[in-house]
Amino acid sequence: MVLYQYFKTCLLGLTRTPSYSLLTIFTPSVIFVIIGVTFTDSRQEANFALGSFCVFSALGVAFFQFGVRIANERESPWERYVRVLPVHPLLRLFATILASLVFVTVSIVILIIVALLTTDIGMPSSSWFRMLLSVFIGVFPLAAMGLTIGYWCSPKGALPVANLLYIILAFLGGIFFHPSLMPELMNSISIFTPVRYVVNLTQAGISGKPWTIEPFLILLAYTILFLILATAGYRRDEGYKYS
Amino acid sequence: MANSTGMNANSNELIKGSAIQLSNIVKSFGSSMALRGLSLELKQGEIHVLLGPNGAGKTTAIDIMTGTRKADSGAVSLLGGEPRDKSIRMRVGLTPQESGFPDNLRVAEILDLVRSHFPEPMSDEELFTRFTLEKLKDKQAGGLSGGQKRCLAVALAFAGNPALIFLDEPTTGLDVESRQNIWKAILEFRRSGGTVVLTTHYLEEAEALASRIVVMHQGKKLAEGTLDQIRDLVGTSRVSFKGKQPVKLDGSTHIMQQNGRVVVITKDSDRVVRSMVRDGIKFRKLQIRPANLEEAFFTLIENSQQ
Repeated sequence: MVLYQYFKTCLLGLTRTPSYSLLTIFTPSVIFVIIGVTFTDSRQEANFALGSFCVFSALGVAFFQFGVRIANERESPWERYVRVLPVHPLLRLFATILASLVFVTVSIVILIIVALLTTDIGMPSSSWFRMLLSVFIGVFPLAAMGLTIGYWCSPKGALPVANLLYIILAFLGGIFFHPSLMPELMNSISIFTPVRYVVNLTQAGISGKPWTIEPFLILLAYTILFLILATAGYRRDEGYKYS
Repeated sequence: MANSTGMNANSNELIKGSAIQLSNIVKSFGSSMALRGLSLELKQGEIHVLLGPNGAGKTTAIDIMTGTRKADSGAVSLLGGEPRDKSIRMRVGLTPQESGFPDNLRVAEILDLVRSHFPEPMSDEELFTRFTLEKLKDKQAGGLSGGQKRCLAVALAFAGNPALIFLDEPTTGLDVESRQNIWKAILEFRRSGGTVVLTTHYLEEAEALASRIVVMHQGKKLAEGTLDQIRDLVGTSRVSFKGKQPVKLDGSTHIMQQNGRVVVITKDSDRVVRSMVRDGIKFRKLQIRPANLEEAFFTLIENSQQ
């Protein structure tokens, strides 16, 4: 099956060059130890920080593991070859999102272990479940955003673009500090970022508040929007090298 | 009524007959023009060889036929449809350029990925044996030699059991045995009704495989026909002898040294011999025979420049 083959080769390719993957996977844990541990006073604050850093993991995997790598490989002879094989771009994009789910899972497991060792986290199992579910749902719009970067940025341009958006979205989305602590202006921009909705979902899940349908619909809309953009980028690609 | 059926039968035949049609294709890259109004019709069931010097536009022509690149203007028909159409691509086999593969994927994994796109692919085992990949199947592509990569690249074109295969210099840098294997696979593919479009630098390869030849030069079609037709088209002869190489000879197209002999390519061998006698050139062991493809090809290009 084509979907499975793309998923498999995508994962194999990444796991066989571990140096690059490891950096993306461990970064959230390292920053969590530096920031999260220092600035959380209570168990609940630590729980919230963990939830936010799980979203941070998803953002990092989406942007660097997939976005930047796709941009780098886009003009390679192999990519040019695969682009003329009979496969719908959406199927390839979907296989990549599934592969990023696997990487996010690994990154989150490490993060949770680090959090258990360094902080006083703890929550009921229903909260764990809702927090993880929020992150997995969040992977879809974030990975689609990473794919859009990958298929629209030049190989040289992708890394700076991804870096900039990574930092901006992490701050605006309320990953480094609780959205309720944001200044008014920042908060009014924040509510337009997909990251903010994912962070909100994790926090509602952790604190046991019921979810509303609205954030899910907005995240779905973001996913569709970025998939359309990524597909357009994929199709636009013609390869620019003279040969 | 009878009339309209007749017409249908005719148009069906036309569609069936031609594998690829290019009409008036123009393609430029920045200021350089790769194709300047290329028109071609390639029939089904043949092995078409595109010949021409570097920069003639062979690779660009293939890229446009396969939908890898879009033409600036002109029309393309591939197996009666649009090259980017998924149902058309299901029937087409291609090789990656420069034999570029992801370094860390194994040979069998790459073959499986490509096979999975097609409804009735060739089995792994058959691909391994046909293209001498049996011992390499568990090796990562990054560890393959240039020749091994080339074999894998060609195998990928056959992997989907297509109706039409494009091969861009399939045997460049291969040892004799691998080359023979690939030639065998290509000829067998044609016997089973397949169509092949290939480019090559080796005239030996064109002579061994081609049923039709298209000669390209400066982004246009220069000549088209069977191997013999291309030779006859120019009616070129090869006059060769032992002796000192003359600077100029009346009626010659090209003069060169080859294996210790002077070789003169000409359209009029009688005139060359007469002028050799007249000019008092000392020659031994004179031979005259029809030129081979390479030599004929040389004349074609020279003619077009005059």
